[in-house]
Amino acid sequence: MLAWIRFFIVAAIMLFALSLFVSELLGFYRFGFVMNRVHAAGIGDTLGLFSVILALMIAEGISMVTLKLLLLVLFMWFSSPTSTHFVSQIEYFTNPSLYSHVRREGISEEELSSRDTENKEGGESAPL
Amino acid sequence: MNSRFRQWLDGGLDEAEMIRIMDASELPDRPREEIRQEARQKKEEFLKQEEIQKEILASRERTRWFYIFVAVLSCVCLIGVLLGLVAHLPRFGVENPLTMEVVTRYVEEGLEETGAVNIVSGMILDYRAFDTLGESNVLFTALVCVLILLRADRKNMQAGREDYYKIRSDQYYDLSHDAIMRFAGMVLMPCIVLYGMYVILNGQNGPGGGFSGGAVMGAGLILSAAAFGFDTVDRIFTLRLSNIITFVSLSFYSLAKGYVFFMGANGYDNHIPKGTPGAILSGGMILPLDIAVGIVVACTMFGFYSLFRRGCIGGKTE
Repeated sequence: MLAWIRFFIVAAIMLFALSLFVSELLGFYRFGFVMNRVHAAGIGDTLGLFSVILALMIAEGISMVTLKLLLLVLFMWFSSPTSTHFVSQIEYFTNPSLYSHVRREGISEEELSSRDTENKEGGESAPL
Repeated sequence: MNSRFRQWLDGGLDEAEMIRIMDASELPDRPREEIRQEARQKKEEFLKQEEIQKEILASRERTRWFYIFVAVLSCVCLIGVLLGLVAHLPRFGVENPLTMEVVTRYVEEGLEETGAVNIVSGMILDYRAFDTLGESNVLFTALVCVLILLRADRKNMQAGREDYYKIRSDQYYDLSHDAIMRFAGMVLMPCIVLYGMYVILNGQNGPGGGFSGGAVMGAGLILSAAAFGFDTVDRIFTLRLSNIITFVSLSFYSLAKGYVFFMGANGYDNHIPKGTPGAILSGGMILPLDIAVGIVVACTMFGFYSLFRRGCIGGKTE
């Protein structure tokens, strides 16, 4: 009985992780702008990976393997957000038409596009 | 050495070529009619070349189907040969004295003869260590080639553009002043290097060994260079140190394996203790050889990264 309860919990978490990975893949291949794709990739790399490993940890029970899986999650949670952060930072510093992708309350689209032209002339992008 | 040959080696111009170039520079002083005629001639030559090009294209068009036919035919032949070979392979796991002799020897007596639990390590670093030495030397040669091609010294850079590499890396790719990068590097780098050492030291007991562990350690070095800047890494890892440890590793490998092969070929005992199988200090020469290969691979990985990013190893550009 307990084994079945455990199995269903593991299956539910696995299915949740699978849905996250499907959304990650869809976003990664269907979005056009880098920042959106980085966001989609970040979902799968953090919560999706954590869900898969949580399911595996529940399936395994408390043992040395569980500890290793936990270390794996810690490692991925350090490395993956750092890399996505730098991909988006490079995009922010090098894309001259960045503000045409940005929509923010209180700032009109003309002002945003004028910032783009300023960037093109000045060469260096200013923080929003 | 002949001075003209030396001149040619240094990229200098031939004497006749110099005269030709000096003649060409005096073109505008000649009468206008002559220049026009020359231009007409050049145009005709150009048109002729264009016609030749068109003819070549047309002939290509004619022979296109022939090429497609030959390509398909050769592919089909290759597929047929490979499929025939697969069909003639002995069935998996079935005893076949012709093909299974070496494999049986490895599986049955590998542990006893090499002292390594991981039979693959026993194979590549004991039975076939000569092959692995070649692979390490290939890696080292690749590093030397990249060093020759990409090193940012006087010979490889255009005059007046010496700081091209520096400017580009400073503008976009230097992440070492970022607090996030520093913290992530501080947490991740020791783990990665420690894991690389674990993989190298356990090469004879489990999956791993010199190549994989060395690649992991090289990744750790690359991460530290990206996170803390090249200045920090240059304090430890200089070109001189890289050369010394690569040379010492490769020559140690050659000497150790030469000794073992010499003794084995002449039927002597080589007096290298095998140790208990499963312990870290076991497997005879496999552990030191793994360490040597791992050091070479780590240096090569970091050398590639450093050369491709800034054109030098260890900071000093000439």
